[in-house]
Amino acid sequence: MNVIEIDNLKFSYLGQDETALEVEHLSIAEGESVLITGKSGSGKSTLIQCINGIIPHVTAGRLSGSVRLKGEDVSGMTVAGISRTVGTLLQDPERQVLNYKVIEEIAFGPENLNCNRDEIERRLHAAVDQTGIEDLMERDTDTLSGGEMQRVALTSVMAMEPEILILDEPTSNIDPEGTERIFQFLHKQKGKKTLLVVEHKVERALPFVDRIIVVDSGRIVLDIPKENMLEMVQTLLDKGIEIPEEFLYASKLGLRTADVETVRSELFRAGISLHSHARRSGGGDILEAYSTVRVPGRTIVDAALKARKGTIVAIMGKNGAGKSTFLNSMLGLLGKNEFTFSSTIKVDGVDISESDLSTRGTYVTYLPQSFDLMLINRTVEREVKYSMKKRRIRNDELLRTIFDVFALYEIRAADPLRLSMGQRRRVSMASILASEVRIVLMDEPTSGQDFYHKDRLGKELRMITEMGYTVIVVTHDARFVYRYADELAIMHDGKIVFQGLPEDGFEISAQYGILPPSDHFLRRNEKIVESVAI
Amino acid sequence: MNYIMDSIISWFIFLFGVAAPFYLILGAIGIGGFREITKYEAHDSFYYRLNPAIKIVFSVAVMIIASMMIWWIGAVLALGILASYASLKNGRRKVFIGSMFLISIIIGTTWSYAPLTPPSILFEALRSQNLLNLWKWPSYFAVMGYQPYLTLQGLIYGMQISFRFAAVTIAALILVMTTTPSQILKALHKLRIPDPIVFSLMVAMKSVPMVFQSLDASVKMQMLRGLGSGRRKFLKPIFLLIAGISAIVPTIVHLMRGAKDIAISADTRGFRAYNHRTYFVDIPMTRTDYYMLAVFLAGVGVAGIMLALGFGRAIPYIS
Repeated sequence: MNVIEIDNLKFSYLGQDETALEVEHLSIAEGESVLITGKSGSGKSTLIQCINGIIPHVTAGRLSGSVRLKGEDVSGMTVAGISRTVGTLLQDPERQVLNYKVIEEIAFGPENLNCNRDEIERRLHAAVDQTGIEDLMERDTDTLSGGEMQRVALTSVMAMEPEILILDEPTSNIDPEGTERIFQFLHKQKGKKTLLVVEHKVERALPFVDRIIVVDSGRIVLDIPKENMLEMVQTLLDKGIEIPEEFLYASKLGLRTADVETVRSELFRAGISLHSHARRSGGGDILEAYSTVRVPGRTIVDAALKARKGTIVAIMGKNGAGKSTFLNSMLGLLGKNEFTFSSTIKVDGVDISESDLSTRGTYVTYLPQSFDLMLINRTVEREVKYSMKKRRIRNDELLRTIFDVFALYEIRAADPLRLSMGQRRRVSMASILASEVRIVLMDEPTSGQDFYHKDRLGKELRMITEMGYTVIVVTHDARFVYRYADELAIMHDGKIVFQGLPEDGFEISAQYGILPPSDHFLRRNEKIVESVAI
Repeated sequence: MNYIMDSIISWFIFLFGVAAPFYLILGAIGIGGFREITKYEAHDSFYYRLNPAIKIVFSVAVMIIASMMIWWIGAVLALGILASYASLKNGRRKVFIGSMFLISIIIGTTWSYAPLTPPSILFEALRSQNLLNLWKWPSYFAVMGYQPYLTLQGLIYGMQISFRFAAVTIAALILVMTTTPSQILKALHKLRIPDPIVFSLMVAMKSVPMVFQSLDASVKMQMLRGLGSGRRKFLKPIFLLIAGISAIVPTIVHLMRGAKDIAISADTRGFRAYNHRTYFVDIPMTRTDYYMLAVFLAGVGVAGIMLALGFGRAIPYIS
């Protein structure tokens, strides 16, 4: 029996002429698990919002055609009514958790459904059993890590006991451990509920889906059983979807499996060795940082880091390992009332440990995760020139280079806040680099980005390091680190427990909750015989 | 030359009331201080144990008493409640932040009332026919034909008025600092306030600390990018103010982008499915709550009786 049926659906957002989504026909059977993937802005979220009733009940626009849930047209139902059948987990946990106590958050849905106390308690225990968050029940939501918060949000959705579960990029903003727990949950739910999972991490979602739907430019361009995926690898890649290398090589070698070990041995048998990623050793040490940060009762950071000129150093670690706090201590952004801290920060031999923010800003610059908050000017051009103006610097050549590298000429007169996320990120990057400061700290710039944007970011970072910049980047994305970083620093319990080549780091990273990317396994312990173009 | 000096001094005095509270607050407690007194932090003391409905009654009672009674009642209430901040989590810090907040309210309100209160009101309110003129603004400061003067009596009157605002603000912050948004949701629901209004308030309460957190991040980014670079330290609050104003638009945009997710998150979990909702964790009324309710109602009653008898009236010239 089909629980979701879509026919001749067409939707345009209010005030926009172009069609955001057009689906001739789509049906999803009861108990089916479907992966919906595609580039950012391709229409994936629009599709699921048509299913959970957000379109047209919350988001207005021109809608035609029909979306039926168990035979009932969504446009004739209320969102609250739909929520009895369809549960939705969003991307950003901080934006969907409303209550202060975990228990209140989970009870929120059943309370809305007017359930009595016994029924709420039953649903609460059932949901907690499924997601395994017993240890979080007594916690306050603002003390949870991103991964923990997402699992609480998921439990809250499960307490609604929906028959259809929609997860819209549920792991985009959380650490590898949190991601693993979400995927474990989905694995258990396979067959029990109808699952619609919007996800960029195709290979992680594959074990629990039956079917893959690719959305591109507002249309479903591919709808295949997962068994056929290997045959369609190139198409997926062409549509901007991140495909791990083992799938590519399995496809090229005509294998029927993408198991890493099998692909590796087949490559070896065929005499093909993969080209290693170049790691640069850079110039001399340009940054030396040592910080200790305490909160009442414990030390949360006691870490030292060095970076060489013209290199990319990636810091990885589980949520709560102290990565962002360490970064903030280097920048002098920690609040004196919340933390007790001391740090020694030397840039090119100059000690800036006691300097105020604007002085530190002449040595190190910073791209926060919420980079929108730094866009304060009315045009891109003024935004990029802001630092130069404030520091009374004139360097037209640097400006030209930055505008070129980040492709900003065409949008230089646009309002930065009205640009797409990818463009806003590029404007923010350009504006911090224009200050002529040579050390750039970045906090999770890969978070929520699709393959295309991460790839572009990696290439941009490579370009700026060739210009002499040094980049320290905090990220959860192991594949990004493997492909673009020169060094990996692993942070665990507030300490840097490893700093060195990513190849060496990923040999020990699993014990610190960081799963190495499959790219690393494919290349492990092999000599370079020849390069294979992907 | 005199005209130029007059203009400079006039503008300085005029802007003092606007700038001083910001200077004081941004210089002393920073934007992070705002966040500290607008967010709930778990703790166990008297205020935290009170039923949220009683805390709402407390704020309303303070508002009624402070607005109806003579100014010094408001002052006593404001200072008394401020002292009780010591019982909150990080009490000393909260008292300090509250004090800075109180002073800024007093300066801001006094300055907004002092030049624009007509002499006729001052004669009545302060029972004095002799106004001590401190400054006369040039004619271009006239507002709708009214020529502002700064008198000592105007300042006194403005300060008296300010304590009414201060008492209400300091009392209302107790509710915000000691009650979770969901507890307030339950309390207001029991008071039969419609759920959509209550939910808006709950989201607002959740958002206020985030507003200050985002503003703080935006301001710090501007400092890192060179705002105020090479300027003297005493000018820091002015640059903080400039950065704070510049940060308003990106902060609003940032929060608005998240607001839709909050709405979707609530709606897709059945919010407003029915006109009523149940509550899993109830907040019972304890004996202390009833005692405190009696105390607050008695306070309002006593204030009413005193007013009826002609004691301590806020507006003596009406009697």
